[in-house]
Amino acid sequence: MSDRADTVIVGGGVAGFQAAMTLRRLWPEKTVTLLDKEEETGYYRTLLPQFINGTLPENKLFFPPSADDRHLRILTAVRVESIDREKRTLRLSGRGDLHYQRLLIACGGRPLVPQPFVGADCAGIFPVRSLTAARMARQWLTSHPEVVVLGGGLVGVKTAAHLAGFGYTVTLIERDDTLLPLALSAAAAGLVADHLRQKKIRLLLGRTVDDLHSTAGAISAVQVGGDWLPCQTLMVATGSLPDLAWLHDSGLLSEGRLEVAPTLQTADPHIFAAGDAVTIVDSARYTPWTWPQAVVQGALAGENCHAAVPRSLRRYSRVNTMNLNGLSLAILGLPVPGAARAVYAPAGAGIYRELFHQDGTIVGGALVGDISLGGRFHQLMATGLAGERDLESLLVPRKGVWSPQAAVFVRNVRRARILPQGVER
Amino acid sequence: MKVIAVHPDRCTGCRTCELYCATERGSNSKNLLQAATEEPLPKARVRVEGGGSLSFPLQCRHCRQAPCIDACLAGALVRDEESGLVVIREGLCIGCWTCTLFCPYGVIFPWPERKIALKCDRCLYMERPVCVDVCPTRALEVVDMADYDQFLQGKGSQVATGLAYAGPGLLLLDLQHPA
Repeated sequence: MSDRADTVIVGGGVAGFQAAMTLRRLWPEKTVTLLDKEEETGYYRTLLPQFINGTLPENKLFFPPSADDRHLRILTAVRVESIDREKRTLRLSGRGDLHYQRLLIACGGRPLVPQPFVGADCAGIFPVRSLTAARMARQWLTSHPEVVVLGGGLVGVKTAAHLAGFGYTVTLIERDDTLLPLALSAAAAGLVADHLRQKKIRLLLGRTVDDLHSTAGAISAVQVGGDWLPCQTLMVATGSLPDLAWLHDSGLLSEGRLEVAPTLQTADPHIFAAGDAVTIVDSARYTPWTWPQAVVQGALAGENCHAAVPRSLRRYSRVNTMNLNGLSLAILGLPVPGAARAVYAPAGAGIYRELFHQDGTIVGGALVGDISLGGRFHQLMATGLAGERDLESLLVPRKGVWSPQAAVFVRNVRRARILPQGVER
Repeated sequence: MKVIAVHPDRCTGCRTCELYCATERGSNSKNLLQAATEEPLPKARVRVEGGGSLSFPLQCRHCRQAPCIDACLAGALVRDEESGLVVIREGLCIGCWTCTLFCPYGVIFPWPERKIALKCDRCLYMERPVCVDVCPTRALEVVDMADYDQFLQGKGSQVATGLAYAGPGLLLLDLQHPA
C-alpha cells in the first residue's frame, strides 16, 4: 500500500463520498484515498428503515457504481487512531501511517445511546445508523416482532413508520411532548402523530426508558415511567454526536467541537471538514446535521480542498424532506419566537402547511401531507423576497388537472356513445 | 440547447397541456379517456400558473446552474450531455424529494404513489413535446437557446454602439439607429 495521497478523506458517509466524487471530477490528476471505519461503504443511510423492514433489496441501498478509477482508493474497516498535523500524517489502526497533502474530515456522528443501554450486554438492541446494525436488525426482527423505537426525531419517526404494517407491534417513545421537536411546530407534529397512530403505532410522548430487562441474553422488556413494556427489539434513534475522539489532542477541537469557517476550513489550512462532524461558525454556531446538508457540504469541502479561493457555504438551513410510509413531509424550519404564522389546514384532509414569517421574510415552516411548491417557499426563504405577499393563499395547493368528477364524466361520455340519441337513460 | 418557450399573451389557462402531458407521458393507456380512470391518476410535468388576467404554462427551465442536480442525493438528476437538458433517471430516483425543495420554480413534482420525483424532460425522445403540439393557441414553442444568445449579443453590440455615439447629456432613446 502506498502511504500517501493528495487528499485523504476520513469517513465514507454521504459527505465523504460527495467530496471524493467532486475532488476526482475537479482535479483528475490528484489522488484521493477515502477511509471508512465500517465494513461497507457508499450506501444511503436514509434508506435504512426501508431496508430493515425488508421492502428495499440490499443492492438498491448502495450508491450507483462508478467507473473504475485508479486515482480513487477506498479503504474500509480502517480506523484512524490519531493525527500528526506537523508531519501531515494519520496513524491508521493496523495499517501504518498515511501522509496527506489535504485532509477532509467527514467522519460523521456516532449514535447517542441513552444511559440504561450503555454497556448493556444483551441482544436485540440496534442503533439505526449503520448498515451492519441494520442487517442484524433485519434478521433479528423476523423472530422478534415486539418493537420499541426510542427517539421521536426524524430517524425514529421514519423507522417506526416503516416498521408498522409488517406484522410488528411498534411503540415509539419520545422524551419531548411532541414528535420531531427539533424540526416541526407542535401543530405540524400533531398531524405526523395522527398518521403514526393510524398505522397502529403506540406513541409514548414525554416519556423516557428508565430500565431494561433481559431474558436469556436478549432484551425482553423496558421500563417506561414505572410500567414494564414488552420489548423484543429495541431500535435506538436518539440522535448522534460527532465522532471526534481521534482528534482530541490534535488542537483542532474547541470545547469538544470541530469548528469550521463557512468555507468548511478548520483552524489548520490543510484540513477541511463537512457533515455531521462539524460546527460551522459564522454570526452564530450552526449544526445543520441533515442529509441534504451533508451532500452540499461534502461537495463544497471537496471543491475547496485545492481551490485557490475557497467558496463559502450559502445556506445553513435544516431543510429536509421525507416520505413517512404514506405521509410526505417537508421541513423548512422551526418556528421563530415572535414570527407570525400563515396556515393552510383543511379539516380532515390530512394536510397541514404552515409558514412562519417576520418582517416580510419567510423564516421557517413545514409542509405535511402535501409538499407541493416546497421549492418556491425554500427559495423565498433563502432570498428573503416574500415581501407583503399573501402567504395564506400561496399555501393553498393547486388541484390536479383530473377533477374528482373525471371518472364520472368519462363514463357518461361512453354511455353517450353507446346509447342512441333520444333513448331514456 | 433547445427549450420550451412560452408566450404568456397567448395562454388562456385552459390546461390542455397538463391534460395531454399527463396522458401521453404518465398514463399506461396513452388515451385521454382511459387515463382519467387509471389508478394512480397520471401526473403532468407542466403546470399552468397564474389565472385571471395572466396565466402561463411552466415546466422545467433546465437551468444552466441547476440547484436540483446539486441537491439530488442519488445522482438520478443529471444533465444530458447531448441535449444539455436536465433529466431524471427514474431507475435511480429514491423518492427522497430533496430536489423538489431545491427547485426555485417548483416544477419538480413529488409522485408519492410511484415513489419518484417527476419533471419535464422536454419529451427528449419524441419528435416534439406533447404540450407544444396540443396547445390550441400556440402559446408554447420550442426555441434554441443559441438563437437567444445571438439575440442578446446583438442587443449588447447595439447598446455599445449607442453609447459610443451618444455624447454627454444625450438620452439613449433609440438604440436601433444610432446617430
